Formats: sequence, structure tokens, C-alpha cells
Amino acid sequence: MQIKIERRLETPKIIYVIIPIASIVASLLFVGILLLAIGVNPFEAYGVMLTRAFGTKFGLTELFVKAAPIILTGLAVSIPLRAGLWNIGAEGQLYMGAFAASWVALYFSPPSAVLPLMVIFGLLAGMAWASVPGILKAKFDLNEIISTLLLNYVAIYWVEYLVYGPMRGKEVYNFPYSDLFPDYAILPRFLGTRFHVGVIASFIIALVIYILLKKTSYGFAIKVVGSNPKAAEFAGTSREKMIISAMLIGGAIAGFAGMMEVSGLHLRLRAAVSPGYGYTGIPVALLARGNPVFVIAAAFLFGLLYVGGSAMQTTFGIPVAIVDVFQALVVLFIIGGDFFTRYRISIGGDRND
Amino acid sequence: MGESMEPMGASMGAMESMEANRDTILEMKDIVKVFPGVVANDGVNFSVKRGEIHGLLGENGAGKTTLMSVLYGLYKPDNGEIFFEGKRVEFNSPGDAIKAGIGMVHQHFMLVSKMTALNNILLGYRTPKDPMMDYEWARSRIEELSKMYGIEVNLDEKIINMSVGEQQRVEILKALFRDVKLLILDEPTSVLTPAETERLFKALKRMSAEGLTVIFITHKLREALEVTDRITVLRKGKDVGTLITKNTNERELARLMVGREVEVSIEKKKSAAKEVLLRLENVYAKNDRGLLALKGINLSIRRGEILGLAGVSGNGQKELEEVIVGTRKVEKGRLIFNGKDITGLGVRKRIALGISCIPEDRIETGMAPSLSVEENLILRDFPNFSKNGFMDFGQIEAHAERLIEEFGIKTPSPKVEARTLSGGNIQRLIIARELSRNPLLLIASQPTRGLDVAGIEYVRKRLVTFSEEGKAVLLISEDLEEIMQLSDRIAVIYEGEIKGVLEREEADPEKIGILMSGGELEET
Ligand SMILES: Nc1ncnc2c1ncn2[C@@H]1O[C@H](COP(=O)(O)OP(=O)(O)OP(=O)(O)O)[C@@H](O)[C@H]1O
Ligand SMILES: [Mg+2]
Repeated sequence: MQIKIERRLETPKIIYVIIPIASIVASLLFVGILLLAIGVNPFEAYGVMLTRAFGTKFGLTELFVKAAPIILTGLAVSIPLRAGLWNIGAEGQLYMGAFAASWVALYFSPPSAVLPLMVIFGLLAGMAWASVPGILKAKFDLNEIISTLLLNYVAIYWVEYLVYGPMRGKEVYNFPYSDLFPDYAILPRFLGTRFHVGVIASFIIALVIYILLKKTSYGFAIKVVGSNPKAAEFAGTSREKMIISAMLIGGAIAGFAGMMEVSGLHLRLRAAVSPGYGYTGIPVALLARGNPVFVIAAAFLFGLLYVGGSAMQTTFGIPVAIVDVFQALVVLFIIGGDFFTRYRISIGGDRND
Repeated sequence: MGESMEPMGASMGAMESMEANRDTILEMKDIVKVFPGVVANDGVNFSVKRGEIHGLLGENGAGKTTLMSVLYGLYKPDNGEIFFEGKRVEFNSPGDAIKAGIGMVHQHFMLVSKMTALNNILLGYRTPKDPMMDYEWARSRIEELSKMYGIEVNLDEKIINMSVGEQQRVEILKALFRDVKLLILDEPTSVLTPAETERLFKALKRMSAEGLTVIFITHKLREALEVTDRITVLRKGKDVGTLITKNTNERELARLMVGREVEVSIEKKKSAAKEVLLRLENVYAKNDRGLLALKGINLSIRRGEILGLAGVSGNGQKELEEVIVGTRKVEKGRLIFNGKDITGLGVRKRIALGISCIPEDRIETGMAPSLSVEENLILRDFPNFSKNGFMDFGQIEAHAERLIEEFGIKTPSPKVEARTLSGGNIQRLIIARELSRNPLLLIASQPTRGLDVAGIEYVRKRLVTFSEEGKAVLLISEDLEEIMQLSDRIAVIYEGEIKGVLEREEADPEKIGILMSGGELEET
């Protein structure tokens, strides 16, 4: 008996469908084993997750509320990904967006201008944060994975510093919170739930990005750079410009996610604005293979995990970190699965001897 | 079905019966390989005798590479059987094929560029002292092989610093080192200079004399006639005949390949010299390693002419091409196009002014392999295919269909990934795109490399009519014959300098040869 790994020249299309689905199933299995190990029946646990998300009006709207920022961070990763770049920094870009929006909310007037200004500042802050790795990559070929990742820490600690220090609210006792935003700085909500207008905005942004990537000449240029940078140069498409602009658009969207979270959900700036949505954007973009419409679908899967994760915590006492485990597993399986697009494995006897 | 006729009945002389006595080393029976939308091999029967050099001919997309990839274990055939040395074999991977004694040198080499030749040859090989590397033993064995077949390489040189010809010799040694009995060479000569081709042929003949069997794919009929013992022709995925080389000729081969007579000559009238279209003034540029590759080039290309640029590859041709296209920085000097200084202009502006280019590096620079055929056909023109920033997909598709038809690009649909096209069809795609925008100047670098007979004639004719319309061609080629046939004037480049510009009447291969190797002509 012999196991052989062979390079394949032909990649059947079906593989691209099988890999994401198999990755999700395999991750669910692994997490199930983990749950078993700590004495929880995985079927029950997954059952609770589903009923919590789909069983009630509250659960369903929460699902949308959690999926929305993930749609945005998924897009923030997808756009650079199409140009061949790994934006690991959506988390930091989100934090900077949250910070800039909060600053506007707390200190700017007149009231009627505040919400629009929060959006603009959120977008700009995310962009600014993403511009640094973009420019470094374009001009000096500095690895964007490292620079985006490290800038996340800077942003997260910057926000923490603010809410423990200069921006800490007067009426928050010792919590790392800013004051609550004034009413005019809060996104409208519907149905008496936390379903806010930002959720709808996220869908619209996904559609706009879909059109941008699939229908415009800009989207085409990004695709060419991602496919063969040398051919792009030969076609007169500046690789540098495309790299920087893809990072800027990604950063702006992540920055908007930050604005949306503080203005639609937390209603203030606080430490831990995001439970890691920026990182969740990575498996989302991978599952969606950079397609904005599929990003929406993948974001709902992870939204479900976040909603279900807190349900599992209250019901079984399982830490929400289980969501991170699941997320990491999906990334590993997808990247591992990529192997199968280029190689095939055959098992069989060696007929030569 | 296997309807292989053998049009060799004409004269069964003594030689043939001797040929017939040799045993068959390879027998491929009724091979079928289907790709989505294409039957690449449609019941091919192919048999090769031990010790012969067997030519495999056919138009672009006829299925030659596919047939050899099936043999080498890269593709699983959908039908058919393979017998090697009398035994039925089924190779699941190149590893199996190598173990059985089959080696293949691909058209695009598969070497590790930052490693030395020696390490590349040894890669994946277990020397007797395994797991330790026995370099001494390996080196002496390789040197022995080198001497035996006359294939020399510098074992300690890194691949990245080698010419294509040298890289190819490494590939061949790599196969020989693994004790192959059958060596497949996929279009080995398309990247070689005439001198290197001669060397390769000598080596192949020695291999055959030593009992090694060689399958040799080429588009150059003369080469096939020169070096092979027998020739099998594929047409549209079917084998249409196996001929004994001595009893055939270019005409017959061309007719078998194409299915009709091919005209093999081109009328090229001497152009009436018109005004200068592009002038390079004292142009300096560096190569990728930061060394000066162009050292004060002065060159004028006039409307209505084909200017041939002859030279051994690596003497600055690629840099010159890139400087005109706009992807390489000019260190010093100026480019004047149509009366305008374009030295500082970007690529896209130059495209808009009418500069087109068939790049030397067609896969690495010329196309985006994972994009579709139709997308590749607008790769350098996509701003023209959009309205207010939105792509006009209807127009893109219509454009693709028109070019596929006009240039005979063989593809199941405009939507398939461009990398699935055969080598020659990728070349056609690039030529089609570059000519389609109706430029003023065409830089054509090895434009007919990898094309079949009909394709070569077609492209050469297009270049000639193009120049006759009052436009200009800069023809960069290592194929002296092509240069002599098409050019009005011939410039020779050597170590980044133009050594001379000859009118076609005063040029002959000998003079060009002298200039190409850095010599001076006495008269001037
Ligand atoms: N991996 C692939 N996927 C889909 N189609 C393919 C693939 N490889 C080859 N083909 C198709 O099969 C046909 C035969 O291709 P092949 O490469 O064997 O031609 P060839 O005779 O080597 O041509 P050339 O002289 O141009 O190299 C072509 O139409 C090509 O488009
Ligand atoms: Mg081929």
C-alpha cells in the first residue's frame, strides 16, 4: 500500500465548491470533538446555536447585527486579496474608524452634521491606517501581512489608552468606556431591537463593491494585477497604484465598520470594540473567494457562530473563544484545501514490485 | 478510431526493412484525451522504435503536447493503452514515467532558478550514499554523460545566470542522469539560436547512436527532415500518418499537417523609405540586475519599413523592447515617436499613440494565465472597452469572437482560461491583440516562435502588409532567415550597442554573423 502525491494539471471546477463546504464541515466536526472533550454534547450545543439565532425575533435581528460588521471586514480583506494582497489589518482599521467616529460624536457640532461627519471620519481613519502598509508594499515591497498585523496592535492599544485615559467618560465609574454618544450621533434602530441602519448600509456596500469588482474597468485592472503583475505593467496598469488603492478601499470599509459598531451598537467608544471581526474577515474572504456576494453568505455563517457562541456560553458555560477556534480551523482547512487544487493524492499498491 | 494509414509504401528499399527490424519501444494505442470543450487526442495510435529519433509534427493545438503529457503521466487518458518495452504501463505521475525510463523536457523549463545546475540535476535523486549527498560521484557521472553526448554545462552556475540554451542542456542532462531510455523534447529548438540548434542535433544523433530513443516535437519542417528517422503527423487530435523521413519532403509534410497545400514563400517588395517614425537617441538603460544593458543606442525606424534587429539573445534586445514599450526606465537619452518626445510617457499613453508589442516573454509578460481568453484579448486595451468606467461585456465578447476567427485561435470558447491554450495558440492570442488596435509601430519579438507552418506564413504576411500600409515594424529575432526574409534594413545589436545597420541588399548571413559576435566590418 502506498500513498502518492501528484501534481495535477487539470483542476476540476467542482473542487472550488467542495473545499469551502468541506472546510466548514470539518471545522464543525473538530469543534464537536472539542465540545465532547469538555463534556458537552455537540448536537445539543449546535442545536442551541441554531434555535437561538433563528428561533426568535431577537435572535434573528442579532444575527444581522453581528453579520453586518463581518460583511464589511470580509470585503476589506477581499478587495486587496483580488490584487494579490493579504490585508490582515482590518481589525486595526476598524478600531481607527471607531476612534475617529467617536471623537466626532463626542466633540463635534452642530448636531445635524455629526452623523455624516462620523461616517466620513470613520472612512478616512480606516483608509489612513491601511495606506501605511499599502504604500510600504508598493514602494519598498515590504510584506503587507506583517505590517498590517502589527498595526492592529497599535490601533487596539491606542483605543485602550484613550478609554482608560483622555476619552474616559465622567459617568462610567472605572470601566474603560467613553461617555455615551449624544442621541444625534446614534444610528437609527428598527423593530425595537438592535437592528440598526448600518446593517442595511453593509448590504448596500457589498453590492456596490460587487459592481466595482465585477463590472468596472477598475475591477478588471485589480484582477489583472492579482493574476500577473508583470502583465499588468505591460498593459499600462500601475501595480503600485492598484496595490495602494485596493488597500485604501479595504481600509475605508473596515473603518466604516468601526464607525457602525460604536454608533449603532455600543453607542460609545470602549475597549474591545470588536471581538475580532477584522480577523473573521479573513476566513470569510477565503470562503467567498473574494466575491462580495459570497462574502455576505459567509458573513452570516460567522454571524451565526457569534450569536450562537454567546448562547453556548450562557447555556453550557463554554467560553466564546470557541468561535475563534472554529474560525482558525476554517482558515487552516481552506488553505490546506488549496493543496488539492494543485495536487491529487492517490492510494494504491505499487505495481512495480 | 485508429485509422492510421501509413503513406510510406512508395519505395520499400533495403533501409526500410532494416528499420522495420528494430523493435518497438513504445506503442500508444487509441489514445483519447478530452478537455472541457475539446478533444485534444482523438484515438491516436503512435509507435516508436528503439534507437530512433521520431519527429512529432502538427499544427498548433493538434494535440502533440497533450499526447506526450499523457505518456509522461501528467494526464490520465480517457481511453487507450500504452505499451512501453512490450509491457502495458499506466503512469499516474511523472515519477512513474521516470522510473520506467521516460524523460521529458518541457517547453517551459521546470528548473529551480536560484540553484546551481548540479543541484537541479540532483533534485529528487537518491545518490548511492543516500541520505547523504554524494556530489563527487554525481559530478563524475554527469561529466561522463556530458562527454559522451557532447552536452556541456557549467555545473556550478546558477540557473538564473544561464542562457535558455544552457538551461535546456541542464534539463536534458537531468533526464539522462536518470537513465532514460526514451527522451521527449517538446519544441526544444523554438528557443534556441541556430548554433545551439546544431549542437542539440549533434547530441541527439549521438544519443540515437547509443541506443537512446528520442521523440522530437517541432514546427520547423526543415529541422524535422534533418534530424529525425521517422515522422508522425497529428491533425486535429488524430494521427494522419507516419512517414520515413528520407522518403518525404516539406511539401508533403505541410500538406499532411494542414490538409491542403501551404504557400511557402512571401513577396516582400523593398519599401519606399519614408519619414522616421521612431528615433532612439543615445539611449541608456539598465537590466534587472542593475547593470547597463543598453549603452547609447541610436536607431531610427521609418514608416513603411520592417527593421530587423539581429543579435544573440541577451545582448539587450529585451531591454530595448521594454524601453520602447515604456516598462523600463531610460537612464539617459531620448525616444522620439512621430515627432514627439515620449521618453517620459507611461505605457498606456504610448499604447494610445500607437505603439504595440509582441513581447519576447509571452507567458510571463504577455498574458494573465488565469484570466479568460476574451479578457486576455483586451488586456492592454481595456480602457477602450468601457463606458464611464463600466466594462462593456457585449463588446468584449464580440471583439474576442472576431479575433478568434480572424487569427485562427483554437479555443473551445472565449471564456476558458487562457493558460489552457496550446503554446502556439497563446502566441496567436497575443499577436491578435497587438495587431487589433491598429497601431503605428509594432515591436515584434520572436513573433513566429512556436507557430505552425500556416501560422508562420500568416504572421509574416501580416507584418509585411502592415509595413506596406505605411506603418513600421521592429522585428527582433534570433532567426536570421526570418530577418533576412522580412527586413528592409537590418540592425545588429551586441552587448547593448548597435554594431551596424545594413540595407537588405548589402546584408548576408556572414556579415551579420560577424557583427553579431562583436566583430567589425572592414568596409566601414
Ligand atoms: N489543461 C488543458 N485544459 C483544457 N484544454 C487544454 C488543456 N491542455 C490542452 N488543451 C487543449 O487541447 C488542445 C491540444 O493542445 P496541445 O497543447 O496538445 O497542442 P499542441 O499540439 O502541443 O499545440 P502547440 O503546437 O501550439 O503547442 C488545444 O485545443 C488546447 O486548447
Ligand atoms: Mg505544445
